[in-house]
Amino acid sequence: MPVVTEVSPDGQKLTISVKGRFDFAKHQEFRQSYEDKQLSAVVVDLKDATYLDSSALGMLLLLRDHAGGDDSDIRVVNSSTDVRKILAISNFDKLFDIS
Amino acid sequence: MQPLEPLTILIAEDSAADRLLLASILRRQGHQVLTAANGAEAVDAFREQQPHLVLMDAMMPVMDGFEAARQIKALAGETLVPIIFLTSLSESEALARCLEVGGDDFLAKPYNQVILAAKIKAMDRLRRLQDTVLQQRDQIARHHDYLLNEQRVAKAVFDKVAHAGCLNAAPNIRYLQSPYALFNGDLLLAAFTPAGDMHVMLGDFTGHGLPAAVGAMPLAEVFYGMTAKGYGLAETLREMNAKLKRILPVDMFCCATMLCLSFQRRSVEVWNGGMPDGYLHRIASGERTPLPARHLPLGVLSPESFNERTEVFPMARGDRVFLLSDGVIDTCDANEQLFGVQRLQQVFAANRQPDALFEEIEQALRDFGGEARDDVSMVEISLLEPEQITPPTLVYSDSGQSCPLDWSVSFEFRAATLKRFNPLPYLLQLLLEVHGLRAQSGALYSVLAELYSNALEHGVLGLDSSLKRNASGFARYYQERNARLGGLQEGYVRVHLQVAPTDDGGCLTIQVEDSGEGFDVERVMERPLDAIRLSGRGISLIRQLGRNARWTDNGRSARVEFIWEALA
Amino acid sequence: MDDDTHVDRNVLSALREVMEEGYPELLDIFLADSEERLKALRAADSAALLVETAHSFKGSSSNMGALRLTELCRQLEQQAASLPCAAVLELVGKIDREFAGIRPLYEAERQRCPAKI
Repeated sequence: MPVVTEVSPDGQKLTISVKGRFDFAKHQEFRQSYEDKQLSAVVVDLKDATYLDSSALGMLLLLRDHAGGDDSDIRVVNSSTDVRKILAISNFDKLFDIS
Repeated sequence: MQPLEPLTILIAEDSAADRLLLASILRRQGHQVLTAANGAEAVDAFREQQPHLVLMDAMMPVMDGFEAARQIKALAGETLVPIIFLTSLSESEALARCLEVGGDDFLAKPYNQVILAAKIKAMDRLRRLQDTVLQQRDQIARHHDYLLNEQRVAKAVFDKVAHAGCLNAAPNIRYLQSPYALFNGDLLLAAFTPAGDMHVMLGDFTGHGLPAAVGAMPLAEVFYGMTAKGYGLAETLREMNAKLKRILPVDMFCCATMLCLSFQRRSVEVWNGGMPDGYLHRIASGERTPLPARHLPLGVLSPESFNERTEVFPMARGDRVFLLSDGVIDTCDANEQLFGVQRLQQVFAANRQPDALFEEIEQALRDFGGEARDDVSMVEISLLEPEQITPPTLVYSDSGQSCPLDWSVSFEFRAATLKRFNPLPYLLQLLLEVHGLRAQSGALYSVLAELYSNALEHGVLGLDSSLKRNASGFARYYQERNARLGGLQEGYVRVHLQVAPTDDGGCLTIQVEDSGEGFDVERVMERPLDAIRLSGRGISLIRQLGRNARWTDNGRSARVEFIWEALA
Repeated sequence: MDDDTHVDRNVLSALREVMEEGYPELLDIFLADSEERLKALRAADSAALLVETAHSFKGSSSNMGALRLTELCRQLEQQAASLPCAAVLELVGKIDREFAGIRPLYEAERQRCPAKI
């Protein structure tokens, strides 16, 4: 299942949708979806994501680092209950806006 | 029609003229040619010369083409040696036989040079493809072997580092860990502090294999080094986080729960960054208090943003802290259902014998039908009486020749320093330069720590120790402590150390003063020496471990001595 | 007989080009082998032997451009097992005569290109 990207009309916001299992197999694709872009705001849409593991957390950290680290604006949206739980235990809500 | 690469081609054909003609055609196409007049000669020639390709006549005397083909294919083994049958056999039965014995293609007579060249090219491409596949397979197998060996070496090195701790020596720790847990990123460390407290850490690195093991070693070094010197949880965590942040790539981190169990103060201090809930099991009430993750894992935040705030809980004798890695919760059954926290709670609820908890959890995992994972780690630490714990004796690495015997030093730590610096490890290191004091390092550190924390918390910060009478008061006390320390503007703690020789050996005098309000010394002294109470200024402890303990200046100044006999 | 129904001249020139100095040798071997095969055909006492020899003869004649000879050998190969003795003998006779007819042609070719010693 792919990683789908969409850039807003004004070119300022990037939405990355991850479908299926968000795990190490998606590593390359996920990185390629943002690495050649200058970003100000990124939305990671997990509506169709069924599962998240620690390598996915690592991928989010890489994205955050690319988007400016502490100055980045990254929102993780449409997380299922299970995914929310994983993000909560790892306290990633301290780094990302999670909804 | 030049081929891409000259091949060595074996022609097995009994008709001399046809053989000669074919050989010439092939030589003109740039190939090396071997000839055989019957099947047996063909097999011999193949065995000796290992040609790349064979053109085989079906009907030959001595041994026909079918049998020769079968034997040649057997000799070739994994390598693909294409065999093109030279035949005008039109019956499908005969053609089927060609395929059966391993024939790869056919060429009819009269020989057509164009067709022949095309077939050779096609067969050669297949041959080279097979060759590439085999080479890559062998390369992969070799790399795999290297990898296994590297892991073995890493494990051996790590085992040495890991044995610096007390995991196997301490009677109050039970743990379960697969032998290859390290290679799934699970880390379990335990060590005594100089005061006789115990630091324990259960960690879980992202990723598996060598990357996880590589991160574990520097972490373990910091853990053991700082714990041995008397650093507290907060400072050690701060260092571990900074180290991992510095050395690991951005997407790697270490979830960890770290504990400091104090047998003397009957408390456990907890920091959980990203690990599943730990549980504090109180034997008297049967209650299990979850210890959830309040922090990000180690190696994520920069030193400026790192939060080392811990929570402190009281413990009674026999109480236990139980930690587990996510391998337990995430065990899946055939339907991809997780074992989950609820099933774990059920095991807790059904448990009658605390000592049987591990077995019951393992049984529950087996019953669940889950695929056994090799990153399941569990550890249980109980609070025992201080006497039941014997920390190992510290080993000193100096030559024993130089030793300061007659000196004194004074320090004044003011508000800004009190907020962000713990002087105890340094003071201890200083005192341990005096060889005669080394045998009492545990008591020395405990007394120093008590004096300092009294001076800071009750003196400068003005906290009331009676708050620590019960569990909720405990939590409030530590919250209040952090709040007041964070807002501290004025105040000081002074430490004076004096070492002087005596007739028999030497004497250390420790004096600690604070800028606080003081307390009613007489009233506290009247209380009998009592080791069991939760609260109190640890005055009992100081009086028991040191000599001539005295409080003056309305309790703002404390003084205690340690003596030793001259070493032989 | 040198019209193209018996021997395909194009095949001969292609052979000459491929074989270069080996052309005379090829011709010699073909003629010698063919004599041997004819002897074998005449002396054959089993259908299997006839089939085998006819098959072999068919192969090399086709390579040498001897069209009618190839066809006759093919017939013998296919029918040797089923034809009555007399019919077989007749077919062998035809093969014999066909070869005798085209033989001078190959010998002439041989003369044209003296072999290197």
